[in-house]
Amino acid sequence: MEKEKVRIGFYALTSCYGCQLQFAMMDEILQLIPRAEIVCWYMIERDSYEDEPVDIAFIEGSVSTEEEAELVKRIRENAKVVVAVGACATQGGVQSWEQEKSLEELWKAVYGDAKVKFQPKLAKPVDEYIKVDYRIYGCPPEKRDFLYALGTFLVGSWPEDIDYPVCVECRLKGNSCILIEKGEPCLGPLTRAGCDARCPGFGVACIGCRGAIDYDVAWFDSLARTFREKGLTKEEILQRMKIFNGHNPRLEEMVEKVFQGVEE
Amino acid sequence: MKEIYLPITVDHIARVEGKGGVEIVVGDDGVKEVRLNIIEGPRFFEAITVGKKLEEALAVYPRICSFCSAAHKLTAVEAAEKAVGFEPREEIQALREVLYIGDMIESHALHLYLLVLPDYLGYSSPLKMVEEYRKEINIALELKNLGGWMMDELGSRAIHQENAVLGGFGKLPGKGTLELMKKRLAEALPKAEYTFELFTKLEQYAEVEGPIIHMAVRPRNDVYGIYGDAISVSDGFEFPSEDYKKHMVERVVEHSFAKHSFYNGEKPFMTGAISRLTNHADKLYGRAKELYESHRELFRPTNPFTNNLAQALELVYFTERAMDLIDEALARWPVRPRDEVEVRDGFGVATTEAPRGILVYALGVKDGRVSHADIITPTAFNLAMMEEHVRMMAEKHYNDEPERLKLLAEMVVRAYDPCISCSVHVARL
Ligand code: SF4
Ligand code: SF4
Ligand code: SF4
Repeated sequence: MEKEKVRIGFYALTSCYGCQLQFAMMDEILQLIPRAEIVCWYMIERDSYEDEPVDIAFIEGSVSTEEEAELVKRIRENAKVVVAVGACATQGGVQSWEQEKSLEELWKAVYGDAKVKFQPKLAKPVDEYIKVDYRIYGCPPEKRDFLYALGTFLVGSWPEDIDYPVCVECRLKGNSCILIEKGEPCLGPLTRAGCDARCPGFGVACIGCRGAIDYDVAWFDSLARTFREKGLTKEEILQRMKIFNGHNPRLEEMVEKVFQGVEE
Repeated sequence: MKEIYLPITVDHIARVEGKGGVEIVVGDDGVKEVRLNIIEGPRFFEAITVGKKLEEALAVYPRICSFCSAAHKLTAVEAAEKAVGFEPREEIQALREVLYIGDMIESHALHLYLLVLPDYLGYSSPLKMVEEYRKEINIALELKNLGGWMMDELGSRAIHQENAVLGGFGKLPGKGTLELMKKRLAEALPKAEYTFELFTKLEQYAEVEGPIIHMAVRPRNDVYGIYGDAISVSDGFEFPSEDYKKHMVERVVEHSFAKHSFYNGEKPFMTGAISRLTNHADKLYGRAKELYESHRELFRPTNPFTNNLAQALELVYFTERAMDLIDEALARWPVRPRDEVEVRDGFGVATTEAPRGILVYALGVKDGRVSHADIITPTAFNLAMMEEHVRMMAEKHYNDEPERLKLLAEMVVRAYDPCISCSVHVARL
């Protein structure tokens, strides 16, 4: 007897569409077709239905309009499992980098006095509006993040979160350390692993696109000293962390802890 | 009494990048109104990056759009380098162009096969074509994988490349990898040609025929390509990139988070593959030149659907071009990946040809921070013209079944290959 197909929806809020593109660019999708029914995925399926029941809802993007705030509520009602995908959906994305200016100021800077008929909002992560069951991190996430999550869901299990920093993967790869060797503000020590230390592998400092790791497991002791020895200030690290962590409630606390006892 | 008409709407146009809709209001005597609703939320990229460290802002700009993140990255880096008064070595420039071409190949393959072709073959999605059109899907995957791999190797990944930095690259692939890249490009060439042949057979809907003003970046060194410092207009006018604001004038329109642009403040215009060919086909060379000449009559600068065919031709051209650029870099091997850049104060404008057309970055730098940012994307430039073409299509087909009219309207939009996320955010600072 044929197994019942898993009903999948891929929904876009305000974003660069990169998480979906990453998903669409996996050749493995073709193997998924016989097992899944794509109920909603506007990026590649014209027959898409936003308000149909699904087993797994993948949501990409930050909530940035009134309409999107309504949409995520409807998705939640219709989905068994809601997965927030990527930095936009999990942390508000780079559009949340600026936390000082108000919506009015931002609007004025970009649109002047002009009005449009939609209602914009300051970008927020999905879980500010609805309960999220699982998060896939990254900007964009790695393909294997999707494969891992999907694979586990399909066998009726639950994927685990990564709780160690990018540095772990970076050391395993044998890269030379950009922070120590060049004094560049690499965020590897404070960022969730899973990318195989992609950027340091290219000699480029990590900018933290997979989000901040829970602060109790990052490498604090040696870090504070290293950041400071290299002349990086608490403020610099905090500002850099905010690129992808605009809404992380524990960020200040974490960076504070890293620099604890270190005089500026 | 005020007449009330029900609009024919597509709330969310499928198979394009970003969220946009079409609204067509039909009255007793024809089409009353046509609106492209851009419903993607605003992301304020210029406003949020002003005041931020230059390097960090450069990491953020590609996130404007995933379909052309390398285009954003490289254009932003060039504007920043111009601002601080740095010029990259030729071999670095060549390798950056190869990275950019990776984006071009991936984006065109994705657009042509996965977004456009299903309409012509009567499918709602490429996923449903797999059984019947295995060969086409395989070619699509091969070409987009090749482009993606080029971006992996030269840019660190296929979406949001971090390995393109001020002064060059963080790290360069080895000689062997570049040689392999050349080999894979050579193997892809017949597939690019197959794509071109396939697209010569598709209908170009005469309903939308009419004069179009085309704008394209004048390619450097007179070789058809991506980088340039002036904009050419199909009416013969040409202006330096710095003057973009004078001749590509933006206005906010009520039904969209994205602004519309007008040539000299008056006329809508088009940019993209067909515009590049219209203005600069004489700078093509190789196999693409032959194909262009033998199919001359199919390239109609008066028809937006020709953009699809133009992209298919570019798949051939850029595949060959990347091989030549790799040769240029290999001739100077070993290439030092990066030069020290002194971040001085200044202002720079960069214009390049993204897969969808002209991309403008104007960046000011002060004390190592972004002091001014203005970014205009091809889709923003195209919106006014796109709306005009949807109107022409609607005027010919408003009596058809609504489903048919909707599909045709969507096809017009898809022919432009819009990046809607890209178009949303534009600034005046
Ligand atoms: S998380 Fe990054 S890749 Fe994903 S949609 Fe947001 S900006 Fe794009
Ligand atoms: S600080 Fe950066 S370069 Fe150094 S080990 Fe950690 S991730 Fe790698
Ligand atoms: S190294 Fe850092 S910035 Fe680069 S992919 Fe990994 S988490 Fe993202």
